Amino acid sequence: MNTNLKISNVTKIYPGCVANDNVSLEFNSGKIYALLGENGAGKSTLVKILSGVIIPDEGKIYLNENNLKLNSPSDAKKNDIGMVFQHFNLFETLSVFENLIIDSDEQRESLREKIDTIMKKYNFSIDLDIPVLNLSAGQKQKVEIIRCLIRSPKVLIMDEPTSVLTEQETSELFLSLKKFSEEGILIIYITHKLKEVMQLCDEVAVMRRGKLVSVSEIKNENIESLANKMVGQNLKIIKKKKAKTSSDQLIKITNLNFTSEDPFETNLMDINFSVNRGECLGIAGISGNGQSELFQVLSGEIISEKNSIEFNNNYIGDLSPQERRGYLMAFSPEDRLEQAAIPQMKIFENVALNNFKSSNFFNNGLINENKIKEHSKKIISDFNVNTDNIELKSQFLSGGNLQKLIIGRELITSPDLLICFNPTWGLDVGAINYIHETLIRINEQNKSIILISTDTDELLKLSDKISVIHKGKLSKIMNAEEVTSEKLGILMGGAN
Amino acid sequence: MIIDINFIGLIIASIMASAVPLILASCGELITERSGVLNLGVEGMMIIGAISGFALMTVTGSLIIAIFGAMLAGVLISTIFAFLTQTLITNHVATGLALTIFGIGISAMIGKNFVGIPGKEFPVLFEALKDTMPLLGPILFGHSIVFYFAFALPFITSYFLKKTKIGLIVRAVGDSPESASNQGINVRLVRYACILYGGAMSGLAGAYLSMIYTPQWIENMTGGRGWIALALVVFSTWNPIKILIGAMIFGGLTIIQFHMQAIGVRIPVQFLTALPYIVTIIVLVVISRDSRKIRLSTPSSLGKSFHKDN
Repeated sequence: MNTNLKISNVTKIYPGCVANDNVSLEFNSGKIYALLGENGAGKSTLVKILSGVIIPDEGKIYLNENNLKLNSPSDAKKNDIGMVFQHFNLFETLSVFENLIIDSDEQRESLREKIDTIMKKYNFSIDLDIPVLNLSAGQKQKVEIIRCLIRSPKVLIMDEPTSVLTEQETSELFLSLKKFSEEGILIIYITHKLKEVMQLCDEVAVMRRGKLVSVSEIKNENIESLANKMVGQNLKIIKKKKAKTSSDQLIKITNLNFTSEDPFETNLMDINFSVNRGECLGIAGISGNGQSELFQVLSGEIISEKNSIEFNNNYIGDLSPQERRGYLMAFSPEDRLEQAAIPQMKIFENVALNNFKSSNFFNNGLINENKIKEHSKKIISDFNVNTDNIELKSQFLSGGNLQKLIIGRELITSPDLLICFNPTWGLDVGAINYIHETLIRINEQNKSIILISTDTDELLKLSDKISVIHKGKLSKIMNAEEVTSEKLGILMGGAN
Repeated sequence: MIIDINFIGLIIASIMASAVPLILASCGELITERSGVLNLGVEGMMIIGAISGFALMTVTGSLIIAIFGAMLAGVLISTIFAFLTQTLITNHVATGLALTIFGIGISAMIGKNFVGIPGKEFPVLFEALKDTMPLLGPILFGHSIVFYFAFALPFITSYFLKKTKIGLIVRAVGDSPESASNQGINVRLVRYACILYGGAMSGLAGAYLSMIYTPQWIENMTGGRGWIALALVVFSTWNPIKILIGAMIFGGLTIIQFHMQAIGVRIPVQFLTALPYIVTIIVLVVISRDSRKIRLSTPSSLGKSFHKDN
């Protein structure tokens, strides 16, 4: 049977922000629809309205011409709309089966049979009697999907489903979604990843700042055209100019080793490399191969031998991050909210955090708030952070804005070396572009970068030299022009 | 010295009797905490139950009215807590502490007129069977209905949580109120119900003290049992059966140290009095060391307010 879902003139207004501005859309089963947009474009709000979690201020939803009243998640379920949330809605300490039976009216045995049938049909294999916290992210997502499938939904909504999945799990998910679609389930796929849209979907609706920008068929689009629609302007294609080869060595790592007591960490073995002024060294690798340990050793969170790190003719291996900053090094850690900033503190307070020594900010142990605020305002305007309220708690900044703030905070002291770890992780296209531009500009000012990243495209775009880390060992250092992403892929897998 | 086997039976029975209020209050609080609510007002709810039970018994003369009245009083005072923490989203810890202080104060005020009045005798069951068996006779028979209920309660609680759908919903709400709400479960309603149930059990525990265990009203007669009940819940890692074990050890040591003091053992009294607290906690910590099981039975959202926004 054909399913038709119609969203008609939906509006949802939050204080200070129009999340959905008069959005109308129509979907038909048999196709996979992408709902594309940057963070904060309003796509999550829209699907939360469809799943009854959020009640719209205005507008109507029709399923097969019937006007739906979606006042709660159970209303959506009753009307055969299933949704898999970006943040899983599972009970970690309950078993898989308990998670599934909790909102089902069926008897234990018949439900178990039903689940078994579903798992066989789609080739899922999950132990129903272990607690959910023992499952991988991909398995948890399958539990969420099974939970929807039990109710044989007409509509299945997936909100940013691949953000926590590995490559392998992602391709498994795509296969399942295509199968569901063939069986007549209408699929709405929310994402900001353009590649996925091209790979999976048939039609794409683009949202920007709460408004619907365009609806089109995938075959008429390509990655660039979608990116431009999503951001709302023609994205400059950034290219790095070939740097002048400088032989002025800035940092040199010699025979650096790190042995961890934690079995879940990676030991670093015999790391040797050097970076010249104005150069960007990229370090590629599949995550968990020692990147975070390497970052910590370089930043001074982990202290190593004094002579193993030579920076600007000083041996600094045994110095703390604060002392290293004194030598004009700067750091941008991977986890913005856990490591780089304190989410509950205000923007200007976070700005002061990496600058305890500055006599500008602190006088005799007292905080000089005016100076800090002045400085923060400069960062916000120089680095294009999209807010004018420096009293805002950092947790309310979007990922992109927070990353700009962090990089800005580090760069405003004009350091000689910036070490960054996955600086564009989880950001949308516009923000990624901005960060990339900033990094290129640093190099142009004859300052250096060590870029540890799991994103190969990013590394190829920004690096002058590239090395690959695998199981705590660095490969030999290659010139970026000689490297292709295939070659990197092979090295990342551990081959020589 | 000849030890009468029936005397041992009597000691064990008295240990069990002293464990009853702890079991009742702990099992009630366990359900509350399993839904993610930390109610530190157990002591206050118990003492309210104690005075309400005793006062109603004296005024109406009906034991049934008194027992159910005490439970109702527990429900009423916990409704205040539920309204504050669930509807007005106040902090659980501060509200619970306030509840205890309030309970102790108001019970002393009401209780003024009841000091020195003798209690009534509470009927016991199976009195006749007491002498039919040595040792087991005094342990098993001749107790009040509340006593039997208390010893069944941990098993009922365990069954409820593991096997029933409502128990599953309670655990789910305690694990992740956000997910539960997105699944269409009314988190506030579930938490209200669990808080009120905890109040009823605390009220019953208090009534047991003032009507059955020591049938009289003494100001502040709960004497910190509410806090012990709270500690039992945590140290048993939210496991009703371990609450039973912990309550028995605590009750046992309390009784035994009395006897030790009486026969004049040369150990400082202060140490003897402290002994039950120390040993109970040590034993519970030792038997609950499996970190995986702790993770699985600890309500993740314990003490955190949940606010649904649209």
